[in-house]
Formats: sequence, C-alpha cells, structure tokens
Amino acid sequence: MKNSSAVTSPPSLSLFLLLLLPFPAQSSDDLIDTICKGTPFFDLCEASLRPLSPSPSDPKSIASAIANVVLSNMTDTLGYIQSLIRHSQDPAAERALAQCAEVYRPVVRFNIPQAIEAMRRGEFGFATYVLGDAEKQTDSCQKWINSAGADDESSVPLTARNKLVKNLCDVAISVIKSLMNGR
Amino acid sequence: MASSESLLPVSSQQDPLSDSRCDSIPESRRRRPIKVHLAIYSGFLLIALYVTLIITHGGSAPKNDVNEDTTVESRARLAGVSEKSNVHISKLSNDLRGEAFAWNNTVLSWQRTAFHFQPEKNWMNDPNGPLYYKGWYHFFYQYNPNAAVWGDIVWGHAVSKDLINWLHLPLAMVPDQWYDANGVWTGSATFLDDGSIVMLYTGSTDKFVQVQNLAYPEDPEDPLLVKWTKFSGNPVLVPPPGIGAKDFRDPTTAWKTSDGKWRITIGSKINRTGISIIYDTTDFKTYEKHDTLLHQVPNTGMWECVDFYPVSKTKNKGLDTSVNGPDVKHIVKASMDDTRIDHYAIGTYDESSATWVPDNPSIDVGISTGLRYDYGKFYASKTFYDQHKGRRILWSWIGESDSEAADVQKGWSSVQGIPRTVVLDTKTGKNLVQWPVKEIESLRLRSKKFHMKVEPGTVAPVDVGPADQLDIEAVFKIKKDDLDVVFGDDSVEDDKEFSCETSGGATVRGALGPFGFSVLADESLSEQTQVYFYVTKGKDSKLKSFFCTDTSRSTMANDVVKPVYGSFVPVLKGEKLTMRILVDHSIIEAFGQGGRTCITSRVYPTKSIYGATKLFLFNNAIDATITASFKVWHMNSAFIRPFSADDLGVPSST
Repeated sequence: MKNSSAVTSPPSLSLFLLLLLPFPAQSSDDLIDTICKGTPFFDLCEASLRPLSPSPSDPKSIASAIANVVLSNMTDTLGYIQSLIRHSQDPAAERALAQCAEVYRPVVRFNIPQAIEAMRRGEFGFATYVLGDAEKQTDSCQKWINSAGADDESSVPLTARNKLVKNLCDVAISVIKSLMNGR
Repeated sequence: MASSESLLPVSSQQDPLSDSRCDSIPESRRRRPIKVHLAIYSGFLLIALYVTLIITHGGSAPKNDVNEDTTVESRARLAGVSEKSNVHISKLSNDLRGEAFAWNNTVLSWQRTAFHFQPEKNWMNDPNGPLYYKGWYHFFYQYNPNAAVWGDIVWGHAVSKDLINWLHLPLAMVPDQWYDANGVWTGSATFLDDGSIVMLYTGSTDKFVQVQNLAYPEDPEDPLLVKWTKFSGNPVLVPPPGIGAKDFRDPTTAWKTSDGKWRITIGSKINRTGISIIYDTTDFKTYEKHDTLLHQVPNTGMWECVDFYPVSKTKNKGLDTSVNGPDVKHIVKASMDDTRIDHYAIGTYDESSATWVPDNPSIDVGISTGLRYDYGKFYASKTFYDQHKGRRILWSWIGESDSEAADVQKGWSSVQGIPRTVVLDTKTGKNLVQWPVKEIESLRLRSKKFHMKVEPGTVAPVDVGPADQLDIEAVFKIKKDDLDVVFGDDSVEDDKEFSCETSGGATVRGALGPFGFSVLADESLSEQTQVYFYVTKGKDSKLKSFFCTDTSRSTMANDVVKPVYGSFVPVLKGEKLTMRILVDHSIIEAFGQGGRTCITSRVYPTKSIYGATKLFLFNNAIDATITASFKVWHMNSAFIRPFSADDLGVPSST
C-alpha cells in the first residue's frame, strides 16, 4: 500500500508504518471488511481497524474504534501544529497555525470524546454532527494555511496530516451512518 | 461603473431621487419635501400628545405606542413585563398609515433570515443565560412554543460550535412550578470556581409576582446541558419592601467581591427612577441585599435586563465578569421599559461600596441623548464572557417591525442579532465598539471588489447578482477639493441640529451627504433601504459625521414601521469613513466606523425580494464627489436545524 504524500517527519509514525505493513491475505468478508467496503476509503478504514487488539467485533465497537482513531490523529496533528508555532519564523504562517490550533483544541479536548461517549449511549446523530464539524475544521485550517502562503517544509506534512484526518472523518461518519441505517 | 445620470423616473408615487435631481434653487441649499416633512412633524406631535396623556394617567405602566390588538398587548402589560408587541406609530401619523398590505406566502417566506438565529417557528424575545461549556456555545431564549405572539413563555435552547451554525435542542425550562407558572423569564448564567454552572432567572408566579429562581444542569457531564433542575428551595429572592411585585426581574451574571462573595444586580424602579438593586451571596440560595443601589437615574422608568461588566481600558479583548483593577472601566447597561431602547454608560465601580458612577453624568444610563449599543431595532441585549476565545459577546433581541397579524400569518416573530464582540473604544475612551463575531466570515462565499467614483446626485448600480444575503465592507472618501470648497464657502450654512431620525432621511441633500448604499432595492428603486453617512460642516469648520439607516422607502406596504434610524459617529483625525453592512433578508445590520455606531433594522419589501433584489451605491450630496472602495461577499446560509430527541436519547418535550 503506497502512501502518496511526501512524508517528512510526522511523529505519528505508527499510522504511517501501518500503511506499509503487508495485510494478512484474508479473503473472508468479516465485519470489518463489510463495513469498510461501505466507506469512501476502504484501505484507510482497514488500516485503522485491522491492527486493533482485541479486534472490534460488533458495529458499535467499530464505530467507537474509528472515532478513537480520528481523535488520536487529530490530537497528534494539534501537537504538531503547536510545535510548528513554537518554531515559526513567519508571522503570517504563525497566525494561520494559531487559528488552526484554536479550532482543533475544543474538538480534541471536548467534542470527539463527547461523541465517543454519546455513541456508547446510542446517540449516533450527535456523533455524526461532531465528526462532520471536525472535518469542517480541517478544511478551515487548510484554507488558512494555504492563504498564508507558507511554502516551507512544515506546511507540506501538515497538509498531509489534515488530509488524513479529513479522510478519517469521512470514514468514521460513513461507518456511523451505516450503523444508524443498517443495524 | 458610476453613471452620471440618475435613474429613470419610476412609476410609483415615490421617486427617491426626484427631489434631488433638480435645478438648484438659489436661496436654500436644502430642500425638504414639504409633504413628508409635515407628515413626520404631525406624526411626532401626535405621539407627544399621546405620550403626555398616557403618563398623566398613572395606573398601568406607561407606554408610548398603540397596538391595534389591544387584548394581546394588555396580556403582556398585565403580566407585568414590558410591551412585547410592536410599536405602531403608523396609527398616529395619518399620512403614512394605509391599508394593511395583502401579505401572501411568497412575500412572507422571503422574510425568513438565512444566517441569523431564530427558532423554526413562533415567537422569541430576550436572550437568556448565554455561555460556553465543554466545547459548545449555549444559547437560551424566551420562547412561546404555541404562537407567533408573546405568551406561555419558556426557555428555548440551542448549541453551536461557532455562534453561527446551531442545533436546536429540547426546551430547557418550562413553567412547571408555582414560582414560574406564569412565565420562565429572563436570566443569566454564572460559572462557579469549580467550573460548574448556576442559572438565576425570573419566574412570574401563579399570582404574577416576579421572583428570582435558581437552576442548574441536571447532568454536568452532558456537554449539551439538555436537562435542567430547579432548586427545591425556590424562589431564592422575592421583591424586597418598597419594590413593586411586577418591578423585579432579569438577574445578572454574578461577579466576585474581594471578600470572596458573589454579587448580582437586578433592575427595578422607584416611582419614575430606574434603579439597580445589589445582592451578595455565597451559595446563590440566600442573599443579603445592600441598602445602597448600584446606581439609579431619575426619569428613566423601569430598568429591564440590566447588564454590568468590566471592559479593558487598553486592550481589545474581553474580560471575565469578576475582573477589576486600574486598567478596567465598568459598563452599566439597562433596557428601558418605557422607550424600548437599550442604553449603556461607562463608569467606575467602587467595590467596597458596591456603587458605580458614570464618567459623564449628562449621558447617564437611560438618558435619551445617551449612548446605545444600537440605534435601530434592538432590545433586551445581554453579554457574556466567552472564556474559549477571551471575548465579551453581545446577544440582542431583534423584534419585528411589521404587524402582529403578519407575524401570525407567517408563523414566526423575531430573530437574534448576529453575536457581536464588545470592547471599549481605546481610541476615544468614550464609547464601546461592537463587531460581528469573526466566525460569521465562514459564511462568506465569492466576493467582488469595487472602486467607484460617484458624482453628486448619482445612483450607481452595483452588479453582484442576487443581493439579499450580503456582507459589504466599504471605505468612503470625500474628494478633497470638494471639502475645501465647502469649508471655504461661507454661504454653505453650518448644518445645525442634524439628526438621522428627524432630518428627513436619505432624500434630503446636504453639501457633504448623504452617501452610501441602497440595499434590498429593486431595479426601479421603488423599494430600497439606504445605509449612509451624512457629513455636516459644524461650527469652527469641524466636520461632524452621522451614520443612518433610512427604512422609510423600504417597502410599499404601509402596515409596517419604517423609521429613519441613526446617530452621530465619531470619526478621528486621519480616519477614513468606513461601514460594514450585513444584509440577510428582512434584517439589516449596519456598522459605522468599525462598530462605533451600529444600526439594526427590519424591513419587509414586497417587490425587492428573491431575484429582484439589487444593490446600489448612491451619492445624494450636493457638492461632494465620493469615492467608494468596497468588497461585497455573498453569504451562505447558516446551518440551523433541530437536533432530534432521538439523537439525544431523551424524550421529546416540545
């Protein structure tokens, strides 16, 4: 599985490495397979869920698991942004990064944990709303970074991370929606 | 591009530019359309007469408006709260009153706003208990679940990540106790030291007595704070001796005293003096009333929705309500029951005596020439400290200016203003500055930039396509040569006594104004609302600027209120004239000089709707050529929808 983004130094090597691991050649359609097939990013979905131990085996725990993956990636991204801010030399880029941090913080600190808790109680509508909002924040952040025009090496990996979080949100929303419908 | 010719004459009875496109009259430089002048004058005379009659009556609280539906208005008055239905000046100014317009669904449904907060249907009024908690902004509001007029008041509830897109939640509080049986009225939230929330609100008891009650979230772990518990020992405050049973409402957010107690204030009146009563508490359950008042101002009537908060003298950021110190001034704000106007004043709070004195007593709280957050349709406003972004945010109830019958027909009434940040104007030190929260920019879609020179007496179309959801930011310059001419010419009279409200609106031409935008205008300008600057040459050749909104031609319909609003706007040396306008269907919010003077208005065009809505730039000055540099964004609609009870796993209570 090829990771197409030009990765330089994201600390969340774990996910990156996962994407390089060869998958067990399973042809049986287990639940993870079935669910991931319904998402817009099958490989990403598989890569996020497959390695988990114990393996989530029912729809609810799959939804929870994927939301946790979103959370940990977004938390990592926030940490990365904060380190970029500390080392930033360019005021325009720093402002854009600060804006990103400001919108990511409540999502990471409050909203996604709230969504995960809500899903535990069966409140999937709330969870989809929160994840949709998280995705919107990555879009906003990306817009700010793009218009700050920074072309130094830091914006490329950040763009890659934002893209990853965005796609994970898509996957998560899709998983939860299929739960709401198909359950 | 600006055309040098005015538009073609329109077929309707009002050609907005007919008075200005003219052969100059040698003597007077200003021509007042006689008919309109007389009508306005007689209208105001009649109002003055009526008000005098009412006030000398005593008895029920004075009001200076007349409502055709007397049964409904009496209900609010009897219930002991200010008149909630609309001011109907039209009844008194004969010339302007006409038949009710034949409102139909097409015209009415256009009026609904795209990005202002409003419930799906029915009546709303005061903002309540706004706060930020665990990643969500919460907004509560006075709501009638049953009708598009005031009554059966409960607390509606909605949450948002960004103050722009909202999820409607189940009702937070309903009148299910004897102490709020006749209304769960306005209140405010306070965060305790441990981060928990207490809510104080006014209940109208089963005997219509106004009391204060305590409530708190049933489950602090629920980020959406869906369910609220009322304290079993309610009410915690009843009207003290000397205070009328219907003159005791709208408790504020509490602030800390230096000896660690919490302090709140509640507006009231003694005879005709508006007052603000002070209580101290440690637990929000028992209170000590101070013998002295926070403040009082004679002849201002009942003070509703009092707000009290610190502002930084030097920094453009918000302060927690408990902050005090040498770098801080305090604002006292109250909603005047008699005039339906929100007033504020800047002053100094003395902690030890729990009193406040204004910096400028001649424009004390509630004085008619004093400061207002907004010079248009704007009431019952309330601020809160947003600890998430370190801002103080202002919410405001924007009622309708149309008839109650139309509200019932369209099924809803009232919106909230776009939340505004509030700071002290560090440049003048004498007024607040408000600005729509930055998050609103997320609704901006494509934009177009313009740079236009507009000769005197010109109206120029601005080609932006559909023009009922816009954000406009503009900078205006008066041509220097023209300014010099005006100053050098002794025959140009000083514009004495200009006032937006009484000087006749945007068709009355002066040497240096009016100029600005015509929004929600149709092609032929038979309907338009003008937002403009009017610059006068004052004594000793100093320029004085006014910022106004003229709604008098906003609609052909005559059963709506169509005032000219506005006020003086401070323009400092070296500053250019700037304005921002948010157009959102039947609401227009205008900000002059970065928010030094703000004007909210409600308009109800009958023709200038849907695709027919256009934008124009106009310059009605006699002597000055204006250059306008501006940007116009189309605004997306906000995502405001109900959150179904199923999503939340709670039984629906609507």
